[in-house]
Amino acid sequence: MERRDLLKTAGGTFLAATSGVYAFRMLTASSAGWTSPDRQLASRRWGMVIDLTKCRPECTACLDACRTENNVAFHGDERYDIHWIRKAKLRSGEGSVAPEKTMLLLCNHCDKPPCAQVCPVQATYRRQDGIVIVDHHRCIGCRYCMIACPYNARFFNFKDNEEWPNKARPKRSHGVAEACHLCAHRLDQGSMPACVEACDRGGSGALLVGDLSDPGSEISRVVEQTPVKRIRPDLGTDPKVYYVGL
Amino acid sequence: MASEETSSGGGRRPARLTVLLIVLLLVPFAYSVVGRFVPKGTASDEVFLERPPAKYKRCVKGTDYMRYHHWELLRETREQVVRYGIRGEIALDRCRECHQKRERFCDQCHSAVSLTPDCFHCHYYP
Repeated sequence: MERRDLLKTAGGTFLAATSGVYAFRMLTASSAGWTSPDRQLASRRWGMVIDLTKCRPECTACLDACRTENNVAFHGDERYDIHWIRKAKLRSGEGSVAPEKTMLLLCNHCDKPPCAQVCPVQATYRRQDGIVIVDHHRCIGCRYCMIACPYNARFFNFKDNEEWPNKARPKRSHGVAEACHLCAHRLDQGSMPACVEACDRGGSGALLVGDLSDPGSEISRVVEQTPVKRIRPDLGTDPKVYYVGL
Repeated sequence: MASEETSSGGGRRPARLTVLLIVLLLVPFAYSVVGRFVPKGTASDEVFLERPPAKYKRCVKGTDYMRYHHWELLRETREQVVRYGIRGEIALDRCRECHQKRERFCDQCHSAVSLTPDCFHCHYYP
């Protein structure tokens, strides 16, 4: 019976040791290694306020600025064009006298993003500072995020852009899903997204991007004091784009 | 035992095929060994990386490191920038400030080993 005893002892010891180590690691694991090493990133929560009362319906400053800054594909073909930010006309229904409203739609950078939840490879994810961004190196182009997004803010790159207006920024190649990332490259370096700057330059000043977790920031003040609405907050996605005058 | 001898029957005949197989397998290795001693000059064995006009004192890493690890450096930088938003000293744009032309720098080695990295489809490098 000696061999059986040996095997039992050896197997038991091995099992105990490995499960002990595993349990120890799991119980003492801190989230320090998983969050961004940069403390500053984790302490922010980027949001946006769009003031539709200031937005001029015929102005396309933000749309053009976004397209140029981020090399967003435009072919003149509705099937292939990508719009990270777009304008929509809202009508009140048949026979209503309410005037048509123009509204700006873009990725809402939800705090509970369904796109990040469904991405099978975690190419789409919510960064620590609240921006929902796509890692195009990892995206496999399954388009599940496009199905999941309730705001239709995500687009698939069928044909990459022929022009390259902003050579300092990469463009996406065909086969990945893309959406507005709130000009994360600009926010990381302290400037404002291209659309916000263009709107300010154009004189409307309808777009405002700021840190929602900072109680002293302008955006927090606007969100608290003026009546703001979000699109479909009932869906539970916690969108972070607020509309004034919707 | 029959008096006829076939060319590949019996006990010692298969050894000839084995020897032939081993010799054939060693041909590529022999090629590279012999190639070391044959004087170069004809084919494009040389890879010439253009030495750029020095804009900075030195590169972020040394030549030896870059030769063997530049892709790891790029991958780590990509991870830091894309997933954590930490933008540091290392960026492809900054490499481009000194090493201006891709065909005289990146493509030299890449073409020599017939490697086509997909980076340049999206990232601008002339």
